[in-house]
This record gives sequence, C-alpha cells and structure tokens, in this order.
Amino acid sequence: MIDNIVRVLEKYWPLFLEGLGMTLLLSAIIVLCGTILGFLIALLRMSRLKIFHIKPLNVVAAIYVEVIRGTPMLLQLYFFYFLLPEMLPFMDLPPTICVTVALCLNSAAYVSEVIRAGIQGIDKGQTEAARSLGLNQRQTMMKVVLPQAIKNILPALGNEFVMMIKDTSLASTFFAGELMTVYKTVSGIVYLPIEPLIIVGVVYLVVTFTLSKLVQLFERRMAASAA
Amino acid sequence: MSVEKNDILIKVVDLQKNFGELKVLKGVSEDIRRGEVVSIIGPSGGGKSTFLRCLNLLETPDGGKVYFEGTDITDKSVDINLHRQKMGMVFQHFNVFPNMTVGENITMAPVLLGKKTKAEAQKMAEELLQRVGLSDKINEYPQKLSGGQKQRLAIVRALAMEPDVMLFDEPTSALDPEMVGEVLQVIKELVKTGMTTVIVTHEMGFAKEISDRVLFMDGGIIAEEGTPEEVFENPQNPRTKEFLSKVLY
Repeated sequence: MIDNIVRVLEKYWPLFLEGLGMTLLLSAIIVLCGTILGFLIALLRMSRLKIFHIKPLNVVAAIYVEVIRGTPMLLQLYFFYFLLPEMLPFMDLPPTICVTVALCLNSAAYVSEVIRAGIQGIDKGQTEAARSLGLNQRQTMMKVVLPQAIKNILPALGNEFVMMIKDTSLASTFFAGELMTVYKTVSGIVYLPIEPLIIVGVVYLVVTFTLSKLVQLFERRMAASAA
Repeated sequence: MSVEKNDILIKVVDLQKNFGELKVLKGVSEDIRRGEVVSIIGPSGGGKSTFLRCLNLLETPDGGKVYFEGTDITDKSVDINLHRQKMGMVFQHFNVFPNMTVGENITMAPVLLGKKTKAEAQKMAEELLQRVGLSDKINEYPQKLSGGQKQRLAIVRALAMEPDVMLFDEPTSALDPEMVGEVLQVIKELVKTGMTTVIVTHEMGFAKEISDRVLFMDGGIIAEEGTPEEVFENPQNPRTKEFLSKVLY
C-alpha cells in the first residue's frame, strides 16, 4: 500500500497540487462571499422594519436560513447546477460557477447565524447605555455592539471556514476540479480506490489542521487583548 | 424657552405601558421641575423602573405623553437621540463599555456626537474622574474595576454629556453592601450641584435625606407622593404604610 501511495504521488503529484489549488481557491471565494452575504442576511434577520405586525425583511431572511439549513447541501448544488443555466441561458455558465454560487449561498446562511448569535449575545444593557447617551442605532452598533460581538464571532467563524473547506469536496459531483475531483480522475487511471483517497485525505487534514491551529492562536491573542 | 429654576423640565401626562397583557403603567401623570430631586420608591413590579425608562423612551409608552423641555418626545417625528443627549441615565447593572478604557467610556459619546473635541473631552474626563476618585484608572479597562467603581464610572460617563437631568435606575441594587456608600456619596454630591435628579431606589434612608419629593409607586400608579417627611413619617395610603412597615432603613 505504501509503495502504491509513493508511486501514485510520484506520477500524479502535479494533479494533486492543482486540485489543492482549486480547493483553496473555491474555499477562499466561498469564505469571502459567504461572509459578506452572511453579514447582510444577519442584518436583515435583525432588522426592525415593521409593516403592520410583520417584519418582512426578518421573515425573508429567516426563511432563507431555514431552507438552506434544512435541505442537504448536495441537493442545493444540484438545484443551482440546473437552475442557473436555465435562468441565464445567454451566459453559458460553466458548471463550476454554478456550484460555487450554491456553496456561497449555503455558507452565507450558516455565517449569518454565527454573526447573529454573536451580536445578540451582547448584553442588552450595552445597547441601552449607548442609546441613553444619545447614540443612534447605527452608532451603537458600530461603536459598542460590534466591537464586542466580533470577539464572539471570529472564533466561530474560523470553525465555519474549516467546515467550508471540507464542503467544497461536494463540488466534485460536478467535476469542479478540486481535490475530490482529482481523486476521481487519478483513481480511475490507476485502478486503485484507496491509495489516492489516503493522499487526498492527508492533504485535507493538513489544510484544516493548519487553519484550526491558526484560529486557536488568534483566539488566544484576542483573549489576551480583551484585558 | 425659560431656563429659570423651578420651571417644568419633564411633564408626564397619562403615561401607559403594557408588557403583553400586563398593564405596568396605568396612566401616570407627573411633573419634574428643574433642579428638583425626586425619589421613586415602592415594591418590585410596581412600575418604578418602567416609569423611569419611559422618561427617555428606552421603553416606548403605549399611551400618554412625555414632554421634555417643552417638546413632546413621544411624537414620532422628534429626534429622540438629540433629547437623550440631555438626559443622563445610570443603570442597575452599570453597563459600562468593556471594550473601551475608563477614559474612552467617558469621551466616546461627547466626541462622537460632536459636543466636544477630543482634547476637551479628555480634559473633562480627567476632571470627572478626579471628582469620583478614579483618576488613576483612566487608562484601565472596566474589567479591573470593582462594582462600586464601575457605577461611579457610569455616573460620570452620563455627566460627560452635560445632561439637564440624571435618571438613576436602582443604582446600588447590584452592588456589594460595602460599595453602596461610595456610590451614594457621589450621587449626593451631584445633587448638591443642583442637578435635576430622578432616582428609583430601595435605599429609603438615602431617599429621605436627598429628596425634595418622594413618589410611592404601586400597581402601575403613583399611589402617594409628597415631601420625604410626609411620605416617610406620615403616610396616608394604606399601601404606603404597609410597604414602609416592611422595609428597614
């Protein structure tokens, strides 16, 4: 088995490297889009805009989050894989883009919950104190609530990023070119199911382990600076 | 607008507030005059804190009006933030900002809201902290302060906005007993400067000592009011009598 692993690596390492590159690229895009979108959704989810007794923005965001969290990610990938080209036939969208969009929309829902929990975890008294001084809602958010919430949000967000990296593997269903796609290709060529899997697994592990260690380090420094 | 002493600073007319089915304020009317010190006493759940929090609209009333310096601040078209700048509030649980130093806690609002330059605010923070004996803490974070120190900080944070009235919501209820004195001392000194003050408190001796007027609230109404002598020595309402007979002071 070890021999096979070495042989596969010797011959196909550029492919694995390419797959790793694609995984990291996908992850970076998803993290970025997911965070920005997630922040917006969290804001909608907490908006106070009221029409009669309903908070429309609130409801829309809540439904979005529930649908995303309540359906399998693979289903969502299929959905956008078929839906987007149908909606935008003139754009000739490559499958990888459709899948990336699906992954971004998925991570946005989870990130929005992390952000919402972080913000709502701040004692209501903080908001009241700021408002009693005459700060408006936005100033209260920017000066008082967010700076405190960020300390709750960032570590949880780091863990979310680790999840996202692993989730990109689902994109291999549509041959997005990331690590699992490379696995499928290589195992097909060399007729070995297990050895390439071990290689890919180790690569994932190295990436996620490094990232979670970085998150931990960051967390510790934050705790130290909290004074 | 007249600023002479004794004109009406806050006028409350038929104030009502419900939490769901529960009627917490059942039509409260009251005038707070400039320079006056008013204590609100009464049993828990009687509506004291809710009444106080309606004065700067931290609670939105369900009925009635609150006039501050002649303006109806319950009117939706009024910019409540401008009026809140002139109404300082101190909370039971201090609510100091843990992400800012002691100094920043004080200077943040005046600078952000354009009342003071950074340098002016800094100078004022130093003076205020000296007044309450916290000069050496200006660069510390609140985490390192005791409860009493936090509350003293909360008081000067509110004073930094140079308010026309100070609202205290049970400022000593969350303190260890040995720290109550230091906070009451600060409030006492503040009252001496002529600051209009409304204070919800369970410290009966203190209320008696500093107040011009005492309101006894129970069941969502002001059940009795008068000078400290009238309310404490010679209460008329049976509920006031019962309440005072149960509290030690």
